[in-house]
Amino acid sequence: MAVIEADTTQLALPTAPKPTKPLGIFARPVATKGWKSWLFSVDHKRIGIMYGVASMSFFAIGGSEALLIRTQLARPGQKLLSAALYNQVFTMHGVTMIFLVVMPLFAAFANYLIPLQIGARDVAFPRLNAFSFWCYLFGGLFLNSSWFLGGGADGGWFNYAPNSSVTFSPGHGIDFYTLGLLITGIASTVGAVNLIITVMNLRAPGMTYMRMPVFTWMTFINQFLLLFALPPITVALFLLMFDRLFGANFFNAALGGDPLLWQHLFWLFGHPEVYIMVLPAFGMVSEILPVFSRKPIFGYPFMVASGVAIGFMGFGVWAHHMFASGMGPVSVTAFSLSTMFIAVPTGVKILNWMATIYGGRLKMTAAMMFALALIPLFTIGGLSGVTHAFAPADTQQTDTYYIVAHFHYVLFGGSFFVLLGGFYFWWPKIFGFMLDEKLGKWHFWLTFIGFNLTFGPMHMLGLQGMSRRIFTYSEGQGFDLWNFVATIGAYIIAISVIVFLVNCWVSYRRHKANPVNPGPDPWDARTLEWSIPSPTPEHNFDYVPQIEELDDFWHRKYGHDEQGRPVKIADAADIAQKGDAKNVHLPSPSYWPIVVSAGLPFIAYGLIFNLGWAILGSILLAGGVWGWVIEPSTAPASEHPHDDSGHGDEPDGSADAAAAELPAAEREEAPVG
Amino acid sequence: MAANTPRRSHTRDYVIATVLTLLMIGGMLLILHNITDAVNHPLTTLKPRGEEARKIDDLSRLVFGIAGLVFVFVEGGTLFLVYRFRRRHDDVDGEDEPVQVHGRSVLEWTWTAIPALTLAILAAFNVSTLWDLESDAEQAKMSVEVIGQQWWWEFRYDTNNDGKPDIITANQLVIPTKTMVAVKIASNDVIHSFWIPALNGKKDAVPGRVHRIALHADEPGVFEGQCTEYCGLSHGYMRMQVKALSASDYDAWVENQLSGPVEPKDGTLAAEGKTVFDQKCASCHQINGYTPAGEQTDSHEPNPDYGGAEHPLISGNAPNLTHLMSRDHFAGGMFPLYDSYDEAAPKTSAMPDGVANQGELGDWLRDPPNKKPMAADRARGMPNLNLSEDEIGKLVAYLTTLK
Repeated sequence: MAVIEADTTQLALPTAPKPTKPLGIFARPVATKGWKSWLFSVDHKRIGIMYGVASMSFFAIGGSEALLIRTQLARPGQKLLSAALYNQVFTMHGVTMIFLVVMPLFAAFANYLIPLQIGARDVAFPRLNAFSFWCYLFGGLFLNSSWFLGGGADGGWFNYAPNSSVTFSPGHGIDFYTLGLLITGIASTVGAVNLIITVMNLRAPGMTYMRMPVFTWMTFINQFLLLFALPPITVALFLLMFDRLFGANFFNAALGGDPLLWQHLFWLFGHPEVYIMVLPAFGMVSEILPVFSRKPIFGYPFMVASGVAIGFMGFGVWAHHMFASGMGPVSVTAFSLSTMFIAVPTGVKILNWMATIYGGRLKMTAAMMFALALIPLFTIGGLSGVTHAFAPADTQQTDTYYIVAHFHYVLFGGSFFVLLGGFYFWWPKIFGFMLDEKLGKWHFWLTFIGFNLTFGPMHMLGLQGMSRRIFTYSEGQGFDLWNFVATIGAYIIAISVIVFLVNCWVSYRRHKANPVNPGPDPWDARTLEWSIPSPTPEHNFDYVPQIEELDDFWHRKYGHDEQGRPVKIADAADIAQKGDAKNVHLPSPSYWPIVVSAGLPFIAYGLIFNLGWAILGSILLAGGVWGWVIEPSTAPASEHPHDDSGHGDEPDGSADAAAAELPAAEREEAPVG
Repeated sequence: MAANTPRRSHTRDYVIATVLTLLMIGGMLLILHNITDAVNHPLTTLKPRGEEARKIDDLSRLVFGIAGLVFVFVEGGTLFLVYRFRRRHDDVDGEDEPVQVHGRSVLEWTWTAIPALTLAILAAFNVSTLWDLESDAEQAKMSVEVIGQQWWWEFRYDTNNDGKPDIITANQLVIPTKTMVAVKIASNDVIHSFWIPALNGKKDAVPGRVHRIALHADEPGVFEGQCTEYCGLSHGYMRMQVKALSASDYDAWVENQLSGPVEPKDGTLAAEGKTVFDQKCASCHQINGYTPAGEQTDSHEPNPDYGGAEHPLISGNAPNLTHLMSRDHFAGGMFPLYDSYDEAAPKTSAMPDGVANQGELGDWLRDPPNKKPMAADRARGMPNLNLSEDEIGKLVAYLTTLK
């Protein structure tokens, strides 16, 4: 699309008189500062930052919900929340944390980092990128607006039929869930296509697939997971919407429907979703550990291959969520076995990370500590996962707090810890100043202690028989002690979040008072994003780098001696790009992505309340698409010559791959020790 | 600095690593001690009290054991690596640099193959346990229908094998010990899950389907359970028990269940309670041998379609109260029916004895949704019937006679 729109006549006739400026909204917006420059931006970096800010805001909501849950469960028989409200709160906690926090946080990093790590100016479809973000934000706001419009969804994030039908959940909460997830699903699908095309087409010359940073690799795999996992949930949500809004009976057993159909469709999405939330974390760890160990990632091809293996196998294990659902012993056997063996590629990764730090010189920065924490914490989550791959054992464990412990160790101990590490690691690149290390370490230890106090005891609660999703428990059931400990842990996590916010604020103030630029490469790192100034200039790269090997930037800084130890041959400051290029072609901002996406929640409100709103939404949507199509491809008045193509001047990466093989082979180090 | 002469001794490192590992193992043992305490944890999954649960437990112990070894290896290993290879204050940039190792294929294939082989061996135990449990449920001689509904369980027995249930009871499933009992699990509304951790794993009750599992109890006892599939508002308060009785006690229990309801003597408070019951309660709650209008029928067999199509409840049912006082609890296994009920050591006789818990029953009748969340306005659960104190007194007097 972008390619078709590119205005080639202008490039061909640079001396031609400027075209007359089109009227108002039919021109491209030109603001480079202020709120307009954010609202209409198509810059992958700004969109990445907006993803980050939005998802951390939703994190505040989801985290508050978690505190409500933990406060209710601190003692037996508490009535802080009614059963009805508690059910809404735990449902919205799950939905928020999964769809509005962890997924978009990875989208934030993917957006910001992938073009930089592959040496590109932007993503393949910049306007679609903005469209993805606004769909996500409006979908998230729509979902949370349910609190003010009759109450949140109360069916659990898994929302099993028929409890999700109008008969059993007569409020509008589940309609918000259905339509909200459809909208955020659009965001993810569009984003997945965009990033897949970006990685396939926009790599710098010489950047072959097997020279891509592991983070880019894992995120790349992740987009395929999204692309293939979202259709089943979309189908399921549409069926549910038809059941609820138009009286269809897809899940009504009394009229020939099947409640288990929902479970299969949901988990066919839901299990790949688990890997969607964890693969990019594997990628981030594989970036951060080598930098602070001063060693390359151990077994790069194994890391990539195990990621691909997890991606494939992730689609063959979904029914392990249904071992107690009565789907029959043959299915249970098949899914039990496939689930056991998905542990193998995951285990390979754990051991490879341990081998990466083995023999290294570990610099314990906050980023490194958060990344290192993934190894022990994810291992706990992985091992408990193996214990419920055994279907008979799972029938004792499923739907108890043992499972709650399991997936929090995976998603919080695995993904979220690394995301926090990612903040510390890439913060100077994104914002041009460092986060305070001392506060960062406080942040780490508080999070680490709070996390283990909260979720560690849940293993014991689960094995002692405490069910999930119960709004309270009784004295005499023996759940008092560990619940109380878990609640204390939750409040420690809350304090750690405050410490993080304080760190952001204090570091920012310090930077304002006494600006110290961290330079292009504050960590002595390995990948391309560190070869350009901090913060990243609007145009990313002055010139497109030529890539000769994995960790190309590192190898331009370091040679090696006979033992294979690195020897400095160049200073990062000398070989890094200056960021002073002028007249770089960049995609122009656009009014239309936000307009098109703003139509969707109105249509959704219309379906729930009054079709009038849906008409308004449809007009916005259709008008937005029309404006999108007819808007001019450039904004002549802006500082940089923009057009819709994010990659005006770099050659296709893969074409040069063969040519680049030779020098890389020559520079290859002999592996030692 | 020559590469092959170590700069410092690592003895201290190894001592610290050993101490940390021992501490970790010690901590794990302490936790293990806490979680395997069955007396104070009536729902624990770690103390099987019947054959099925024991088969699961045997498999789990094997898996937990191996997972425990991996846990100690990875956690201990990571701690050790971090400690051993941390950057020291006297490290010099550019001199104390690590050797750049890119990978070792042999190692990597090895640590791919070892877990894969271990899992392949464990898979055999997994599959054999799975099919063993399945065949127990298929081959059991005796069976009970278990029906989940918001938010309580109904149990139906067909003792004379005429295809019609002749015992309908609720919340406390009674089975004989040392007998493999198949429970056929169904649902009247949403998905529930039937779970008695001491006797077997859980199985969902799905509308339109019947699922079987086997229950087997070694000794007489009362085993706690909890609905474990989220089933809406009062999911947290949907509990049940299984009471296992010796063969003779079980026979006595069956005999009592097959008998008709206790008829209150004319002129007693209980007789007035029966009148209130017919007006206020009988439209949902069955007393065997009576219609919803309170008229006596010829037989005192329970009517499985009590209420029928005109019934106000979505699930079509409310607990059968014919032999209410033969149970230990009411309202979805929530509240004890006897003052003397001892949670830690419940008695296992065919008929509980002691003083009826009139206070708890009266409280319940005063405002059920206050004691247990209900969606009675949506025809799910018991509404507040706004009974007068006089009516409550009469009802309690009647209900406590229903042995």
